[in-house]
Amino acid sequence: MALMFPFRFAVAMFRDDGASLGTVPVNRDWEPEYEWTRFYYQRKGELALEGNGNASVLPLWEYTLGEPYCRGYRVQIAQPGHRPVAVDFPKTNFRNIASMAASQLVAQNELREGDSYSYMVVAHPAPQEEPRPGGLTVANTSPGVPVQDASLETFMNRAQPSGVIDADDMPVFVRRQVLDEAAALTHAHEGTEVGGILIGKLWRDASAGEIFAEITAQIPAEYTLGTNVKLTFTSQTWAAADAALRLRNRGEVSLGYHHAHPVKFWCKGKEKECTPEKQKSCYLAKDFFSADGEAVMRAAFPRAYSIAIVANDTAVTDLTFSMFGNRKGITQPRGFYVLEENTSAAN
Amino acid sequence: MGKANSVLEIPLEISDVSGQKVFSVTNAPTNNTVGELVHEMLGKMDLPRNDANGAPLSYQARLEREGRHLNASERIGDALERGDKLTLQPNIDAGANL
Repeated sequence: MALMFPFRFAVAMFRDDGASLGTVPVNRDWEPEYEWTRFYYQRKGELALEGNGNASVLPLWEYTLGEPYCRGYRVQIAQPGHRPVAVDFPKTNFRNIASMAASQLVAQNELREGDSYSYMVVAHPAPQEEPRPGGLTVANTSPGVPVQDASLETFMNRAQPSGVIDADDMPVFVRRQVLDEAAALTHAHEGTEVGGILIGKLWRDASAGEIFAEITAQIPAEYTLGTNVKLTFTSQTWAAADAALRLRNRGEVSLGYHHAHPVKFWCKGKEKECTPEKQKSCYLAKDFFSADGEAVMRAAFPRAYSIAIVANDTAVTDLTFSMFGNRKGITQPRGFYVLEENTSAAN
Repeated sequence: MGKANSVLEIPLEISDVSGQKVFSVTNAPTNNTVGELVHEMLGKMDLPRNDANGAPLSYQARLEREGRHLNASERIGDALERGDKLTLQPNIDAGANL
């Protein structure tokens, strides 16, 4: 279960008139796309829940220009004895790299601020790397997706949708009590970012060809450092949450985290406080997930079934909740279902 | 199981915070420090080394057998036993990053 790179990708930068501005090697995190690809096929029952073969990132050549120009890339996962599975991703996923390269070109006076530029993605076979002598010998012994069997229909019949449900997303069911507790935590520490660890179960409905999650509880994050714009999870936070999870002993696993966005206090800190009308349409008020939030997902909840919930505490509406998850390798806002009852629909 | 001082390498099991990424190490050098082990394992486990702003993330290794976080300067041969389980736990910021 290793991610292989038989090709090296680069972004070729061009001026508006087509003149070359040079090439920037691509050094990016491919893990979210790999996790998405793997879980996508595991959900559909087309990939084993454990013991998958190696995965590769491969170029998709441009239809007209051909090699080395790419229209995108493919994450392909081998399955011993079966055909590999794959998901294709667009080259627009390299846009940030091109944008950063453009900023650097501006700093080097190769481009002027506001100049137009274009980019193309290229790929070349990677040179064979000699194995490094010494170093640790490791084997990936990660557990498979920890699923139990349940009926998706039974859950659906007992739940209310919240937000925009995308068919590509794994269904997530959140018990009302979890949201109530997150709201109480937020209100009890108004003006400070607080949070907790979301725990629950992954269920598989083989007849529906779907895996779905049930968030059964939240463990308030202890030993954190919170301000109005930041929440630091410390190593003690994770240790305490793990101890609480073990103590519950209900077969639950960590499925993500929640934290508060005290938006109304962000507005107060501004030199010129925003009007209520402006606050209503502010991008920070709903479905805003920062790069820091994504970094926590990547470091602590890397699997594609992991989710994050943000409690949006604004001055203009009651507390609302936004959920975020990995869709096609990108952390995006997503819908979910609320279970009003505090007992599992799997019972 | 005794202390590992008399051997050069020991096997260990190392997991991430979620418990969903688990790697077994067959040859952790007893003369190395815990910090060196953590540094190398971050790459092997494909865990991020930097936060959203590019600043280095600090991870602590928690030794399950003793229920404590190890100091990065502790020597593997002094602190760990064969088959010990470690969890790599980061200090990391969530929030608005405004």
